[in-house]
Amino acid sequence: MMTDIVHSSSILTSSISRRSALKGLGAAAALGTTPGFVRYAQAQSSAPIKIGFQAHRTGIGAAYGRWYERTTAAAVKAINEAGGINGRPIEIVIEDDGTDAARGAEVVEKFANQHKVDLIYGTLFSHVVVGSSPAAGELKIPYYVVSEGYHVASGKMNRWVVQPGITDVRQQCRSVAPWIMNNVGKKVTMIYPDYAFGHDHRDFFAPAVEEQGGQVVAKIAIPPTETSFTRYFPQIPSDIDVIYHVMVGPAVLTFVKELGEFYGGSGPKLFGFIDSLEAVDINSPGLEFLEGSHFWEGSPRYLQANASEHEKAYRAAVGLDDNGASVNDPKDVSTAAHMFGCWETLYIIKQAMEAADYKGPEDRAKLIEATEAITDIPEGAEHPQGAKVFNGKLHQVFGTQNISVVENGRLNVVHRTSIEDGLYEPEADYTTQPL
Amino acid sequence: MLLLPTNYYLAGGAVAVALTFAVLAVGSLTVLDRFADVRIRLFAVPDKLLLAGSFICLAFLAALVVIGFIGSRDPLSNPLPLMVWTVVWVGLTLLQGIAGDLWRWINPWYAPARLLSRLLGRGTGDRMPAWLGYWPAIVQFFAFAWFELVYPAPDDPARLAVAVSVYFTVNLVAAVAFGYEAWMQRGECLSVFLRMISRLAILDSKDDGEGRRCLALCLPGAKLVGAKPLPLSGTLFLLLALSTVSFDGLMRTFFWFGLFGINPLEFTGRSSVIGISTFGLIAMFVLLAAAFLLAVWLGERLTRAPAGFGRAAGTLVWSIIPISMAYHFSHYLVVLVINGQYALSALSDPLMNGLDLFGTAGMHVQAGLLMGAQSAWLVWNLQSAAIIGGHVLAVLVAHVIAARLYGSARDAASSQLPLAALMAGYTVFGLWLLSSPTAG
Repeated sequence: MMTDIVHSSSILTSSISRRSALKGLGAAAALGTTPGFVRYAQAQSSAPIKIGFQAHRTGIGAAYGRWYERTTAAAVKAINEAGGINGRPIEIVIEDDGTDAARGAEVVEKFANQHKVDLIYGTLFSHVVVGSSPAAGELKIPYYVVSEGYHVASGKMNRWVVQPGITDVRQQCRSVAPWIMNNVGKKVTMIYPDYAFGHDHRDFFAPAVEEQGGQVVAKIAIPPTETSFTRYFPQIPSDIDVIYHVMVGPAVLTFVKELGEFYGGSGPKLFGFIDSLEAVDINSPGLEFLEGSHFWEGSPRYLQANASEHEKAYRAAVGLDDNGASVNDPKDVSTAAHMFGCWETLYIIKQAMEAADYKGPEDRAKLIEATEAITDIPEGAEHPQGAKVFNGKLHQVFGTQNISVVENGRLNVVHRTSIEDGLYEPEADYTTQPL
Repeated sequence: MLLLPTNYYLAGGAVAVALTFAVLAVGSLTVLDRFADVRIRLFAVPDKLLLAGSFICLAFLAALVVIGFIGSRDPLSNPLPLMVWTVVWVGLTLLQGIAGDLWRWINPWYAPARLLSRLLGRGTGDRMPAWLGYWPAIVQFFAFAWFELVYPAPDDPARLAVAVSVYFTVNLVAAVAFGYEAWMQRGECLSVFLRMISRLAILDSKDDGEGRRCLALCLPGAKLVGAKPLPLSGTLFLLLALSTVSFDGLMRTFFWFGLFGINPLEFTGRSSVIGISTFGLIAMFVLLAAAFLLAVWLGERLTRAPAGFGRAAGTLVWSIIPISMAYHFSHYLVVLVINGQYALSALSDPLMNGLDLFGTAGMHVQAGLLMGAQSAWLVWNLQSAAIIGGHVLAVLVAHVIAARLYGSARDAASSQLPLAALMAGYTVFGLWLLSSPTAG
């Protein structure tokens, strides 16, 4: 088994390493420095497109940041090998934001004024998006986030901020409600951390349940610093069908273990968001109680029997094994449910740049308009997670979600929601703002 | 980590430290005392190597600073932050504690300070006023710790390059002005700290008077026992060093965030807690220093023949070194394992232009090494072993120091009661820090 691992890693390391991706870039960029007259003409057409990657390299987002970076490197490599964007290679400039809202804004400014990138991309954590957006708006630089938050669709950002590669939490909550009502039960207790992330789930899931004729019987908010949960469980009414849980943080394993011990094998069904256990091995001790329970997944962690060729190609490019861990390191479980958004966002950028015939920073406004003009996004190599629809007014993409069941220590997809399941009444129209 | 039975370890650690003390209190100290003096001679190293080592290190440092300015902006791809924070601050410190004063042989200030002193016609003798004590080192170490733990972007390659350049220049000027040896012993905080830590190591070295250093093997901690008493400022320096590493652990715990009503699950970053962290850094130092000095003062009260508070504090403080080393190991183990791999990769391709000097540029960073239940168990046990072992060694060292200080086993035992209690408490604190839920 060891030899297998070593063998596969020696092949795949080079295909996914950012360094090797950038090596290719160095060669492409070097073309522009050939002496003579030709140089100028060539530099005009083949100078790299510079994308500023606002990465969580340090701070609380670092673990997610690693996989976002890896997916980004894989997508850039694939795009560059296929001829780049308008014949120009992509060059990624990484700046660490420390998962810090104030530094996020600084980094945006640095990208715009110092590195003079064409656009900024890749932010995950909500508070960094919210902290950075005003700077992007002032500097009039396109800001493509991969954050899953509802902040873009809420209308509180500005015209320069778009989220075209990952769905938002509001449509995720809405999408799963009909399936839960029809297949698990109509009486729900919600357990969520008592802050914005949990409140989003409370505010978006509960109305969706009621629309489906169900009822949220109890809402149990847990203080974010809590590390033991048993004393909250008696608050769960006895006559419910489902516990909807979205706990996150280092105490998640304890939460699941204590919940399992509380019910001792019987009790209501569980439905959770994989955000709780993103990058955590589902076979960790204490998680045995999850067997048979259901989870939302953006993109499936485990390779499914019916996976499309596109998805297989995407997983190979990023370097995921069948269990959703790194091919180089089977214990390094990926953030599969979210990181596909990096891949898909970069392809949206490519599509919009080509549509806008993007030449340089003077075309930034055209790039935003071209992004807003995108509507149907078919499933394919560029969008392996599935087909999507982009709402140009709302700057938010809508897509399908996966509902998976834990079976024998694997997550198997049992249902894919439709795009329509997640649609809601838009609250914003960014296109009314001037560019 | 939270699923492990960490409370048993916390209790066990305290018991182990207390038991060590109890055994010492009733047992004989002469064996230990004699062990401390055992040396096994190895070989001699010519002092001329100092100059070569310093030059090489200086050239390397200069290259790193340049790369900090012009290389990748990614702190995990640029070798400067990885070298400073992981390889030197974590790795070299641990190596010093095990193998002895390596830093002396590669100190990048040595060559330029000698050259400048000669050019300016100044000797290298001690011109540092005695009243300065260790205060320059304290001030600089505090600034260093603040930059590492509180400043929002210590990993940013360009900002770090500026910080390193300024720090290097200031200390070079001071080394020329006050004399190289004196400044490295009491002024430049990294050298001061590394030299102190090296007293824990199993290698001892002595000047043979003929331009060579004779190396000898000794027991870990043996060199602490014979160390000269530190002045109050030196004592405070050592306590500051330990308190900052402890604070590094504390500032990430849910407990600490909770004190200030911050939600650790949506911690908005260091920028938002600069005031709180600065306060914590100072408060931790004040608390630890007060606790230590109080323990020594009480110890003095409990003996029949007090040695004098200053002298007692200045010698007993050396027993903090094993604890400092244990904290360093436990708290930075994870950083060392993961960022050490990034460092290997970055050093092989320092400018990200496709170079592969050591064949490690494309290596995949094995983050999974520290993931999963087995790894959590292993990491926790290594950390606990270090913390408990460090405190046990500290109790041993303190006891031998006390025996020499007070001249009798009985006085050593009674004087050490408060300090041993403090150390048992600090063991629990250290283990609690490592087992608490953290963010960032």
